[in-house]
Amino acid sequence: MSGGIARGRLAEERKAWRKNHPHGFVARPETLADGSANLMIWNCTIPGKQGTDWEGGYYPLTLHFSEDYPSKPPKCKFPQGFFHPNVYPSGTVCLSILNEDSGWRPAITVKQILVGIQDLLDQPNPADPAQTDGYHLFIQDPAEYKRRVRLQAKQYPALV
Amino acid sequence: MAAAASSEEAVKAAKVLMVGAGGIGCELLKTLALSGFSDVHIIDLDTIEVSNLNRQFLFRQSHVGQSKAKVARDAVLKFRPNINITPYHANVKDSTFNVEFFKQFSVVLNGLDNLDARRHVNRLCLAAEVPLVESGTTGFLGQVTVHVKGKTECYECQPKPVPKSYPVCTITSTPSKFVHCIVWAKDLLFAKLFGDRNQDNDLNVHSKDDSSSKTDVFERNVDEDLSHYAQRIYDHVFGYNIETALANEETWKNRRRPNPIYVRDALPEDAVQQNGCSQDHKNEEQEPSAMVSLGLRNPQEIWSLADNSRVFLEAFKLFFEKREKEIGNLIFDKDDQLAVEFVTAAANIRASSFGIPLHSLFEAKGVAGNIVHAVATTNAIIAGLIVIEAIKVLKGDYQNYRMSYCLEHPATARKMLLMPVEPFEPNKSCYVCSETPLVLEVNTKTTKLREVIDKVIKSKLGMNLPLVMVGATLVFEDGEGLEPDEAENYALNLDKVLAELPAPVVNDTKLTVEDFQQELKCSINIKQRDEFDKEKEPDGMVLAGWTGPVDKQITSNGDKRLVPSSSSADDVDSTAEDASVKPGMKRKLNEILESQENFDVQNKSDVGSSSAQIVEDDDDDIVMFNEDPMQGKKKRLQ
Repeated sequence: MSGGIARGRLAEERKAWRKNHPHGFVARPETLADGSANLMIWNCTIPGKQGTDWEGGYYPLTLHFSEDYPSKPPKCKFPQGFFHPNVYPSGTVCLSILNEDSGWRPAITVKQILVGIQDLLDQPNPADPAQTDGYHLFIQDPAEYKRRVRLQAKQYPALV
Repeated sequence: MAAAASSEEAVKAAKVLMVGAGGIGCELLKTLALSGFSDVHIIDLDTIEVSNLNRQFLFRQSHVGQSKAKVARDAVLKFRPNINITPYHANVKDSTFNVEFFKQFSVVLNGLDNLDARRHVNRLCLAAEVPLVESGTTGFLGQVTVHVKGKTECYECQPKPVPKSYPVCTITSTPSKFVHCIVWAKDLLFAKLFGDRNQDNDLNVHSKDDSSSKTDVFERNVDEDLSHYAQRIYDHVFGYNIETALANEETWKNRRRPNPIYVRDALPEDAVQQNGCSQDHKNEEQEPSAMVSLGLRNPQEIWSLADNSRVFLEAFKLFFEKREKEIGNLIFDKDDQLAVEFVTAAANIRASSFGIPLHSLFEAKGVAGNIVHAVATTNAIIAGLIVIEAIKVLKGDYQNYRMSYCLEHPATARKMLLMPVEPFEPNKSCYVCSETPLVLEVNTKTTKLREVIDKVIKSKLGMNLPLVMVGATLVFEDGEGLEPDEAENYALNLDKVLAELPAPVVNDTKLTVEDFQQELKCSINIKQRDEFDKEKEPDGMVLAGWTGPVDKQITSNGDKRLVPSSSSADDVDSTAEDASVKPGMKRKLNEILESQENFDVQNKSDVGSSSAQIVEDDDDDIVMFNEDPMQGKKKRLQ
């Protein structure tokens, strides 16, 4: 019975997304085998920005909403081991607008979250590294970093 | 309810439901009995524990293990033999305690210890239209609030503070408070070493050589000596990891730089040998304890870095020596002595690295377990206030309802320890109490979703492209913007009978229906009914609570919702609009803000659990604010 606020807001987010969303992005409640859709977990795809090393990749991202949404932000996860300085080994994205103590505001929409993460892909924040691999290469070996990013883009081709 | 009734008459005639027979409940039952109440029902699922006895004074040591509700009844009947007390040793969320059950009571009094049960009772009280007096205590703090449908806000009109969580970056990289070190030690290090290895864990893992980052430094090497393993982990998490973090200059531009700590620094020379002495104190009967092994007796004493290091290494070894079978499945438990010792030591070593003051095991346990010690006097005061409000409710004296807050220090302006506040009006956009759900009688075993959508949602509610939800599960959507596979699933759902939908729709299911285009939303409670009169009820379903053509009303947050265009005279008395024009019911905003502010100040002065929910009660000798340790994780980037 609980979670009325989260559910109501997610239904609104769902409707808004269906009516209008940025090109190349996917965001949809997780469809279960039985033909229902769970509003609390959204499967998304973020396209790498054109003109960046991330271009050509369609990166899968899962949004986990809690009953405290939108007081609390959703947890946003790439696949485990995703290569990016601000993504934890678990895949969790470290981004100010996703942190309830700094940038998160309940008014932030799913669209804004996804666009924000798209921006983060090509503009990592070196002040808050979340993984050793991505961070060290980003700082110490830009050429190798670039190669790894491009390699990863190839690992996530368009689905259709 | 007869408004003019005297208090005595109102009390004598009342049939009261008490939910919870713990800290507040014991005081409350006693006060009710001594105030002349003679018909009290009590629900509590708990049994009595030794730790309850210091303040749940209706219980004695011989009662340990028995039902709280039943023992409380027997204890009170000893000094008030002629009253009726009906105990239920059961969960208030059981389906036997349905709306019909709640309707028999004149008022419901809550003495609960968790948000979930409070929400549940709130909703049942709203549905049954029974007034609710809600309460909670946390240490010296407490409050009593009155919730009467249509007159005051319901329990869920205002969002409740949720347990404090900390950003992962603060925990993993830049702790600034002791609690950050505790969360790190408990949720990351302890979980990594002794918990489920398959769980996500964001403990910073800096492997020594970047090329072979596949090997897990936390794994014990083949044939590795236990002392060596313990020291290796120690050096890795407190030494090497800190040094690695220091290499990132940007992080420390505006922060104090931490000191790496290695075993050889913390424990000069003797260290290793000394830890071996645990064997001397070995006692197979006792639960393993690093404190016992090391001869540390006082849990209130703050250990030195050296002692913390010894406890860390010793506790680490004891886990492998004495509790090896549990490794891989351990979850931190504040009652697990060895776990508390390990977490205390690890948190203190980390604190010392980051220049944060160290804490004793007793304090660390409190922080780790989110413990606030219950105060019996607060419970007694709160119970008294509950009865005062209950009597007002019974007399229908709603102009004098007060929400009362019990403070730890006198509030600045008026030197008050008990702060009365006039109740708020219902929040018109409250998801729980602002709408009156419709009721649909239908045979869920034979009726297809398509029929409900066509005959009710489209033709009666006037929706065009409905979304149908059961809880958080979408079972139907219509309109543009659907993926082909989604549309296909929904088409299949249309031809399923209600009870066989992916989220089954059966008796008492609440459907939420919205329209894709119209700003329209409503709830439909489903009532199972097997037979319909084909002549009078040709649809095979009956929608109740729906009295006329569609009207749209704009609520305060801009949402529109459905309201019947006419309502019966009885209903008028309980609408929000009516209450809002009554004198004495207007919000006194300044007063409320002032008292809230004072209250916040009280809260902030607490350590660790400072954002403690004031609403939590103490059903045990401690209060758990955060039952889910993983909830303490959040992401941040600055």
